[in-house]
Amino acid sequence: MKNRLKLLRAERAWSQGDLAAHLGISRQSVNAIETGKYDPSLPLAFRIADLFDARIEDIFLRDVEEQGA
Amino acid sequence: MTKTSRNPAYRRYTRRMIPISLAYVGAVGLASRLIPDNAAANGATVAIALVPGLAALGWIWAMARLLVELDDEYLRMLEVRKFLIATGFALSITSVWGVLELFTTVPALPVFFVWPLWCVGLALGQLVNWRQTGVAGCA
Repeated sequence: MKNRLKLLRAERAWSQGDLAAHLGISRQSVNAIETGKYDPSLPLAFRIADLFDARIEDIFLRDVEEQGA
Repeated sequence: MTKTSRNPAYRRYTRRMIPISLAYVGAVGLASRLIPDNAAANGATVAIALVPGLAALGWIWAMARLLVELDDEYLRMLEVRKFLIATGFALSITSVWGVLELFTTVPALPVFFVWPLWCVGLALGQLVNWRQTGVAGCA
């Protein structure tokens, strides 16, 4: 799943490690989510959204195929 | 290979596995000394031979605790995937070999080797994780 996590992180000048520390997860997890290799669970997605004061759908973008389904 | 050992769950896992492994090696050594080859299965020999088995149960317990205590869902997913690959690998070999034993005269595979086979599968799972994500995991 595509997402705007890298962009939001860059706006705050945070490293992946900084974001990981804010979320209480590993830097590897942040990297996997940012690169779309791993889709976070709903609770983690809410934590990410809360951290950036945004809605989940503002951060995580639906794939085109899913939108058409 | 990315380091994941900073997670406290991994440190606790390592702290548990080392003494359990030492206990296993010690118990196997002791059983080898105390029980002669081809000894009959009586109360004493079975009791001594079960001690290394308890240590093997300790390994399984430590792995289960790792999954319970690992609070990072991505790392936990990688560990679960490794366990599934290990289980698939061990079951594939033992079930196919079992059928061969049933219909042909191939030598019987001792049940003892199921655990080492599973551990080989674990290493295979680690390799798969590392190749796909750059993170191998710990167990």
